[in-house]
Amino acid sequence: MSEKKANLAAVSTFADHEVILPPNKLKKAVQKVKPDAKVEFDPVARAEAALAELAADFTQWMEQECIRLDTARKAVKASGLNQGTCDALFLAAHDIKGQAATFGYPLVEPVADSLCRLIEHTPDMKRIPLGLVDQHVDAVRAITHRNTRGDSDANATMLAGKLRHVTEEFLAHANRDRPEYLEQILAPALAPSEPSN
Amino acid sequence: MIRIDFNRLRFLVIDDNAHMRRILRTLLHGFGTREVYEAEDGAAGLEGFTHYSPDIVITDWAMPIFDGLELTQMIRQPGANTNPYVPIIMLTGHSEKKRVIAARDAGVTEFLAKPISAKGLYQRVLNVVANPRAFIRTKSYFGPDRRRSANPNYAGPERRKGGKADVIKQQPLLDKAKSPT
Repeated sequence: MSEKKANLAAVSTFADHEVILPPNKLKKAVQKVKPDAKVEFDPVARAEAALAELAADFTQWMEQECIRLDTARKAVKASGLNQGTCDALFLAAHDIKGQAATFGYPLVEPVADSLCRLIEHTPDMKRIPLGLVDQHVDAVRAITHRNTRGDSDANATMLAGKLRHVTEEFLAHANRDRPEYLEQILAPALAPSEPSN
Repeated sequence: MIRIDFNRLRFLVIDDNAHMRRILRTLLHGFGTREVYEAEDGAAGLEGFTHYSPDIVITDWAMPIFDGLELTQMIRQPGANTNPYVPIIMLTGHSEKKRVIAARDAGVTEFLAKPISAKGLYQRVLNVVANPRAFIRTKSYFGPDRRRSANPNYAGPERRKGGKADVIKQQPLLDKAKSPT
């Protein structure tokens, strides 16, 4: 088969769709090895070890993310709730939500998640309660600064649970005229996070 | 048994957060990849995609300028670039049902919810390399086949027209490797 032909996708045409088999360019990376072949290294274990070496920086990185969140909160206070300040606050909270557990602060994650939900699902951004925003940001900072690592701190767990509860009550009230939307945002996540090991 | 030679794969990582890019680069290097390119937003990501011709794209969702979803839609334009079939792994803090479905409908190949783990990332890469999916083009969709498997208990109407031959069985490399030689 010529190289040109090998690079063409195989297309089967049907009444309302086409099924395309693209050339498999990743085949080059697949190695078939015998089951009893000696494993040179475990790529997952090696990646985890590499990540562990990076962990010395995580405290500083988390601090930087907290400063970013606090700065976004101050911008909201100074300029009011508008698309720019709301986006900055949401992105800062969203990044913390995604990274806190990796950085060793799993109890920060639910607080950041709750703040994201508050910003994203309040129908009118002007109605986002700033007092509740403050409480979320302060909670993120407090849990981080107390160096509450791991997931067993009772105070941090209670704080996260309380903030989530108040936020969900607010969202249920704010979206009471939009039952379909409310049902959507209360649906369980389709993609639960995966255990780290 | 199958093994992925990461050294032969070129990755493009698109995330506006420098810490997350560093984590992804560290994990990919740990797997054995040498070529990891980075971009900090969707626009730079599209430019990097054209310039570096990556084998696999890993993108965040929430980014300034244009986001990971819009980037995916731009890549999945047949004829608009050199490789509209490139596997796209969306790594995101969004895990809600509507988000996962939106990502799937934009043409994302794999979805990986944060927090990231070495195992989760490895499994997604293994899947796109060893189990490549056919692409489907309709009036409103172009991307990997959203039917990952045939459900023998499905009792609803057939939404794809064209008879029973509309699903082409493609033996995954993983199965091929498992079968005796």
